[in-house]
Amino acid sequence: MLKNIFTKAFVFAIILFVVSCDKDDSPDPENEEEAITKAVLVVTNTSDNSSETYNFEVEGHHHDHDDDHTDDGDDDDVDDHEGEHMKVELESNSTYLFEITFFNESDPSNSIDVTKEIIEEADEHVFFYELTDSSITIESAAGDTIDSSGDPIHLKTEWTTTSAAIVDIVGYLIHEPITKTGVSTRTDLGGSTDAEIEFEAHVE
Amino acid sequence: MVNISLLATGFIFSQDCDLKLEGKIIDLYSDSPLEAAVIEVVGTNTNAISTADGLFTLTEQCPKKIKLKISHLNCKDLFTEIDLRQSESLSFYMDHHVESLDEVVVAEEKTNNLSTTAKIYSLSESEKDRNSHDGLTGVLEQLSGVHALSSGNSIAKPVIHGMFGSRIGIIYNGIMLENQQWGQDHAPNVDVNAFDNIRVIKGASALKYTGSNPGGIVILQSSFPKKIDSLYGKTILSGMSNGKGASLVSSWTRSFQNGTYFTAQGTIKKSGDLSAPNYVLSNTGYNQKNVSLAFGKNDTESDWKIYFSYFNNETGILKSSHIGNVGDLLRAIESDKPIVINPFSYQINNPKQLNKHYTTSIDYSKYLNDKEKLSLKYSWQKNNRKEYDLRRGAFKNTASLHLNLDTHHFNSNHEWTSSFAEVNSGLFFEIQNNFSTPGTGTKRLIPDYLKTRFGSYITAIIHKNKNFDFGLGLRHEYLSNDVHKYYHNIRWESENYGPRLGPYVINEVLSQKLVKRKIVFNTFSFNAGVVFKASKDNTLGVQFNYVQRAPDIAEMFSDGLHHSLASIEYGNPFLKKETTQKLLLDFEKKYGFFTYIISPYITLGKNFIIIEQSGFEQSIRGAFPVWEYVPINAIFKGVDLDLSYKVNQKLRLRNNTSWVEAVNSDTKEPLVNIPALTIKNQVEFSIPNWERFHASVISKNVFHQHLFPNNNNITSTFENGKKVDKVVDISTPPDGYMDLGLDLNWGPYQLFSSNINISLSFDNILNTRYRNYLNRLRFYSDDKGRNVMLQLKIKH
Repeated sequence: MLKNIFTKAFVFAIILFVVSCDKDDSPDPENEEEAITKAVLVVTNTSDNSSETYNFEVEGHHHDHDDDHTDDGDDDDVDDHEGEHMKVELESNSTYLFEITFFNESDPSNSIDVTKEIIEEADEHVFFYELTDSSITIESAAGDTIDSSGDPIHLKTEWTTTSAAIVDIVGYLIHEPITKTGVSTRTDLGGSTDAEIEFEAHVE
Repeated sequence: MVNISLLATGFIFSQDCDLKLEGKIIDLYSDSPLEAAVIEVVGTNTNAISTADGLFTLTEQCPKKIKLKISHLNCKDLFTEIDLRQSESLSFYMDHHVESLDEVVVAEEKTNNLSTTAKIYSLSESEKDRNSHDGLTGVLEQLSGVHALSSGNSIAKPVIHGMFGSRIGIIYNGIMLENQQWGQDHAPNVDVNAFDNIRVIKGASALKYTGSNPGGIVILQSSFPKKIDSLYGKTILSGMSNGKGASLVSSWTRSFQNGTYFTAQGTIKKSGDLSAPNYVLSNTGYNQKNVSLAFGKNDTESDWKIYFSYFNNETGILKSSHIGNVGDLLRAIESDKPIVINPFSYQINNPKQLNKHYTTSIDYSKYLNDKEKLSLKYSWQKNNRKEYDLRRGAFKNTASLHLNLDTHHFNSNHEWTSSFAEVNSGLFFEIQNNFSTPGTGTKRLIPDYLKTRFGSYITAIIHKNKNFDFGLGLRHEYLSNDVHKYYHNIRWESENYGPRLGPYVINEVLSQKLVKRKIVFNTFSFNAGVVFKASKDNTLGVQFNYVQRAPDIAEMFSDGLHHSLASIEYGNPFLKKETTQKLLLDFEKKYGFFTYIISPYITLGKNFIIIEQSGFEQSIRGAFPVWEYVPINAIFKGVDLDLSYKVNQKLRLRNNTSWVEAVNSDTKEPLVNIPALTIKNQVEFSIPNWERFHASVISKNVFHQHLFPNNNNITSTFENGKKVDKVVDISTPPDGYMDLGLDLNWGPYQLFSSNINISLSFDNILNTRYRNYLNRLRFYSDDKGRNVMLQLKIKH
């Protein structure tokens, strides 16, 4: 009786072992579906419609030596380097249209425009520029996305410059901000930062 | 003529089965009577149960040699042969330590199944019920040397002597819990209410069950069903003011005289958002539904049991703790209160965890003779863990972590007992399969793997004489991990994995490399212990544990982002096995009504695996601190103290104190997350003329931890329109605090055939604002404020 149970249990265990060991198929790869790996800022001077494109893209410790990452941008593109900030040249007393878009290129062969998703979830997102200087005023531009409460999410903004200055700017894409109105600093918005870009505006 | 005479004698004997055997069961140590011991006549269906005076009577016995089996919860089964010629009255001594709360500091038991000389700390039924709504860790935290490492207020895991996670083993009904225990924010997936007996060994001294838990072992067991025709049970109904929660725990046993029994137990718990003293902790509600069933038969010489349990827990995680980058963390730390405070709600939104744990087990054991017992056990655990984050787009309601862990365990144990020794030996075999459900849209935190383990152990306890017990144990394990792991090319190159892992690459896709590796470990663990009873009131115990632990999968392969700390965690695929040596002393002394236990210990860790900050990784969200597992040499030193003073029948004072210090022995830098000095004082009293009432005041003082490593980072942020660099202080422990509690108990009252107890308990009665160093979400909010709990306990 006892031996019988022992034998049966042992055989059962062996079968389990064999069955489990047979499982040798490789797991499917997972892509970072939600990641934002690149932000593209297009700055257009409203007086002559001339525009400049700035790419913000950082990943890994050794961005420069990454063979798998091919930089296939335009010649006009300016790369962000660690330590030194991108410069955006602006003229004083002028008006510019800033348009920001986001991409997921964690699979380099497949660049996904994430901006559409953000626009679809306008209620849960907002973009916010924080500046060290008040000589530039920023407002929602025509064509900007408006959420269901009537608040613009600032993917398209109109910048008005006044006097010459060098201004440090950080732009945040914020997920689930606690408010979108009466905001003067990043702290007022709460939420979690999905993307953060940093540049200097040189107003001349 | 002779034949006839014999026949006649036989005839007379069989006619005379009217002898009476009266007996008294007595505790060997205290000389006090033992209630509820079961006395069985081997080979028959006759049995009896001892009364409160320890007395029992067996009637209609024939004059012949009979064999008795005497069993009692937490005692070693006693076999004895009696040559019955006339009605007799005998005394039987059982090896048992009284569990009565009135007499001892920590209820300690000589147990029949742990086969160790290490000191066993156990919780009384009332201590367990008092914190039953809090989960296993809340219950265990009442013991000295045990702390809680938590993520918010409803996810907590036990810390024993400064160690947690894979270094702590949780054994329930003889099964080692396998539920992704590596995670700091992974609470044990087991319902404490399903067990009657909760014990802790502060070290790796139960090699019969496990050899890889240098921190300690938690043993959860259901009590042995009575061997009578009966239906009995217990129901606890609790209501909590904080979180507006309620819980219902009920367990029922139907037992039969022939030893067959059926047990069913269930727990339902629900809570809305908890509250700190000044605000609601949004999204901290939880729902729990647990069921366990057991069916079995305890025969005189054999028993079997089929057990099934299901655990289901959904827990919300403080909404404010989901952040995007280090800048967000800085803003959270600088803010006095959580960024998001919504009105109270029962709704559980993302981020949240959903855990399910299924267990099936089959046990069979048989006494081969009165010295030997063979036990066989098969168990299957299935754990399903889903973690949901705040996500965007199509993945909004998809779990970002979805792990399925199946563990099959088979073991056999042979027990040999004599009056001077007890030897256990056994073989075990285990297969564990971890499968990450694909399609989470984020890289796997833990890779898919198949783990095979087998090994053997031998433990022995030798009773040299009445004063000396020696314990020895040895365990060997062979462990093989078959791992399929995707490495992102960026990581692969920055770590220069090519030369060492290159040959194992079996596929390349989406700029990731799939590596298939088989990693084998052989571990040996050893322990030795002595218990010396100098007198009835003086005991000295010495335990030495030598433990080899294979690194767990998380330590070797984890790969992912921790939202609440804005950090990236990487495993180290080249880790070697970790060795710890622990020396633990227990001095136990009684002076009349004053008792103390003092337990100093020291642990030396070689190749001791910790996680350490190692650099930064740039992403579009900013620079993320990278944490990596590294082997170091470590020293843990500590002492636990338990005091009890029974002033009179109406008043008792208790104290338990835990202190531990842990440092990297090469750099002298303190280790992270080591509990601060903790002192608990308790005054238990009753009031003259108020029969059926007793109360206690409990104060828990947690001191400021001044030993901590510096893991601070610097990030740039805007302040008053200027860009400045600021320190993100994630290292400095919060101030100490005192948590004052009060328990008022009434009962028992008789209602029909039930006993009813009512209690009103207050936690953090002063509504003190505090933060706990061992709470990972301390950067975001204060700890829980005042809670008032009304509890109704019915024993049927």
